[in-house]
Amino acid sequence: MRSRPLMTLRLSTAPTQNIGAGPRGTRLTFPITGGAFEGDRLRGKVLPGGADWVVKRPDGVLELDLRITLETDDGALIHMTFEGIRDDRASGAPYFRTLPRFETAEAKYSFLNRLLAVGTGEISAAGPVHVIEEIL
Amino acid sequence: MDTRLLMMLQVAVAGPQRFGAGPHGTRITAPITDGHFEGPRLRGRVLPGGGDWTILRGDGVLELDLRVTLGTDDGALIHMTSFGLRHGPPEVIAAIARGESVDPSTYYFRTTPRFETGDPRYAFLNRLLAVSSGDRRAAGPIYTIDEIL
Repeated sequence: MRSRPLMTLRLSTAPTQNIGAGPRGTRLTFPITGGAFEGDRLRGKVLPGGADWVVKRPDGVLELDLRITLETDDGALIHMTFEGIRDDRASGAPYFRTLPRFETAEAKYSFLNRLLAVGTGEISAAGPVHVIEEIL
Repeated sequence: MDTRLLMMLQVAVAGPQRFGAGPHGTRITAPITDGHFEGPRLRGRVLPGGGDWTILRGDGVLELDLRVTLGTDDGALIHMTSFGLRHGPPEVIAAIARGESVDPSTYYFRTTPRFETGDPRYAFLNRLLAVSSGDRRAAGPIYTIDEIL
């Protein structure tokens, strides 16, 4: 499958809200307080107020469900969501992959409405970092 | 991004159910009656009863929302869903609508399948994300599904 870089997204998070054991697993919410994104075609900051609504499944895999708002350096707002999985027990390296989707009304960035993407995540000292590629 | 082939999936669709213009766009549901899949680690049949619940958005992009049950040749059931997007030049989309075979490189048809199973032989499917490239043929789409490594 061919892909090309879309952006690197760095998030800062507030303390985790541990909701506890629910019907689908252990629910953990990671509030997102800010961040930055940068790529060839867009760059800007992450607005506070989003979060990743995570469920830890009984098989140990974390199901990710993120919603955030991106604001580009030229003033466009982009609604971003992803589903994803994080499997820290995967053989070899941890498996931390996401499927970001975007919505915007800004014509300059409307290409984001028409693409699918894949993110590779890691947890750095400063917070989660996602390297996101457009699926060509 | 590194990927490897998970399977080729071909489904047969019955007559589309056209709901007309709704609040999110023009809704068309394509029932899936049959199909088969084959890859290095799994193969089998698509059970009847699934479908692709599509929405043609105002910007001309077709949003895909597929749900099917896969039955492997050794008796496991796998729940599969996939979200996808399909769009392209108007003349290409019109040719697909007429049932013509179109070079799939001339339009964008990508999906992101997810899998769930309770069968331990296929539990690896619960722990991966995938991307697929579609080829819309008159009888139904053919998806080349790659595991994201």
